[in-house]
Amino acid sequence: MAESTRPLRIGNCSGFYGDRLSAMREMLEGGQLDVLTGDYLAELTMLILGRDQRKDPSLGYARTFVRQLEDCLGLALERGVRIVSNAGGLNPAGLAARIGEIAAGQGLSPAIAYVDGDDVRALGPRIGLGAGALTANAYLGGLGVSVALARGADVVVTGRITDASLVVGPAAWWHGWTSTAYDELAGAVVAGHVLECGCQATGGNFSGFRAMVSTSSTDEMARPLGFPLAEVAADGSSVVTKHDGTGGMVTVDTVTAQLMYEVQSTAYLGPDVTSHLDTVTLSDEGPDRVGISGVRGSAPPERLKVCVNELGGYRNSVELVVTGLDLEAKAEWVRAQLEPRLRADSVTWSFGTSPRPDADSEEGASAVLRCTVQDASPEPVGRAFSGAAVELALASYPGFTMTSPPADGTPFGVYRAEYVDRSDVSQTVHHADGSTEVVA
Amino acid sequence: MRAPLGTFVHARSGDKGGDANLGLWVAHDGSPAYAARVAWLRDLVTPDFVGTLLPEAAGLEVEVFALPNLGGVNVVLHGLLGLGVAASTRFDPQAKGLGEWARSRYVEIPEGLL
Repeated sequence: MAESTRPLRIGNCSGFYGDRLSAMREMLEGGQLDVLTGDYLAELTMLILGRDQRKDPSLGYARTFVRQLEDCLGLALERGVRIVSNAGGLNPAGLAARIGEIAAGQGLSPAIAYVDGDDVRALGPRIGLGAGALTANAYLGGLGVSVALARGADVVVTGRITDASLVVGPAAWWHGWTSTAYDELAGAVVAGHVLECGCQATGGNFSGFRAMVSTSSTDEMARPLGFPLAEVAADGSSVVTKHDGTGGMVTVDTVTAQLMYEVQSTAYLGPDVTSHLDTVTLSDEGPDRVGISGVRGSAPPERLKVCVNELGGYRNSVELVVTGLDLEAKAEWVRAQLEPRLRADSVTWSFGTSPRPDADSEEGASAVLRCTVQDASPEPVGRAFSGAAVELALASYPGFTMTSPPADGTPFGVYRAEYVDRSDVSQTVHHADGSTEVVA
Repeated sequence: MRAPLGTFVHARSGDKGGDANLGLWVAHDGSPAYAARVAWLRDLVTPDFVGTLLPEAAGLEVEVFALPNLGGVNVVLHGLLGLGVAASTRFDPQAKGLGEWARSRYVEIPEGLL
């Protein structure tokens, strides 16, 4: 399938559902790319999409991706950049159909493929799913994406594949890697892990930010951070960089920061390969260029991880501002007043930092007393809770005020991991011509 | 002398379900003491040390993985976030600021490393 042995130039334009909307256009216009990816699915996002889909079965995908493609589909096609995204969430078929409508409306005819098979809700009790399970998705690998691209897809949308698979799939297609090319695949996993959180590889959320902004002008500091891209070579090594002229920086430290993010041990387990993070070598390859090499891979785990989100119950909180003298006594009094009114299963109090004595601003003299409640049903954490707090407004400690008006509780999810056999899951590619192909 | 851990140590933290993840590594700031700093950090960061540095983690199961090629360690704090991001009542339920808190804590740093 190799189109060429030159490195694949692959970018990222989204690190989460809600990331900078203009990033897709910026990445397409900012320089050359072969593939542009976007990650939209965090554990919490699956829960949000699950709630969307309960309200409207035609939803369940990342709607911001639709808006980005409305703006950029023509541009991507014109530039020959393939789009690969997990924005399909719980409904990749629905997203593919929606993109088809957009394309038709704009007189475009891209080949749109989607990849599914990750949704394992139907396995139910066999994998320990109760009635409250909103979502259950196996973390699948990059093979489906690779097969879709090989068949000529311009746009590939998936459900839950691992974030790194958004890079592994295209790289495996580009270089023609087999499923046992573990070192090459592991190299691509590491590149994918670095790219998956967008600007976190280019100076966002970075401890060393002062090296980037300390000598800069206000205009320079206001410049948005560029999104990352990688040049992935045939041996799986890569160079992480960003488009010229964009904000932020790519250094050994910014790349290390992202490598260290959300990893659990030195063996980074994935559906395609186990990547050994203690073999990663980073090198400075010039301004805003960092090399990743030496990555060793080995066979992936036998079983696949499943992200399960269940409805955990309902939650609410109030924040009381406590100002000036006798902070502890004020807090103690209002707690004693409120607690007998609380019926929730769980009540948690926290009291923020003590302000400085003799503070020269009111805010500086104030601390926030926070009460958070949880319950299996909505009533005890609804107005029964927040209303009880408000009723004390004129009848409690001096200076009583709240940071927000009383509100209803909100449902919350509980995430847990389960594991399934590979034989329980069929990753399926739905090609643009309507044919389907089970790939794993 | 006592100085913030972040004097020459970078951090990145995040969540994985109810566990928090904390990466700590020595900054590539051109210091000739880089190798000595890496060795010091690797020896310093034990599960007990993490419980002292971050008292909210005391009593939790803490794992430390050395990543010498990256000049640092990865720390997993099991159960710090309770049932996970959507459910946690913890301040900062995704542990986004955990690394910056860790960097702001004062530790005894040998003079030769500063």
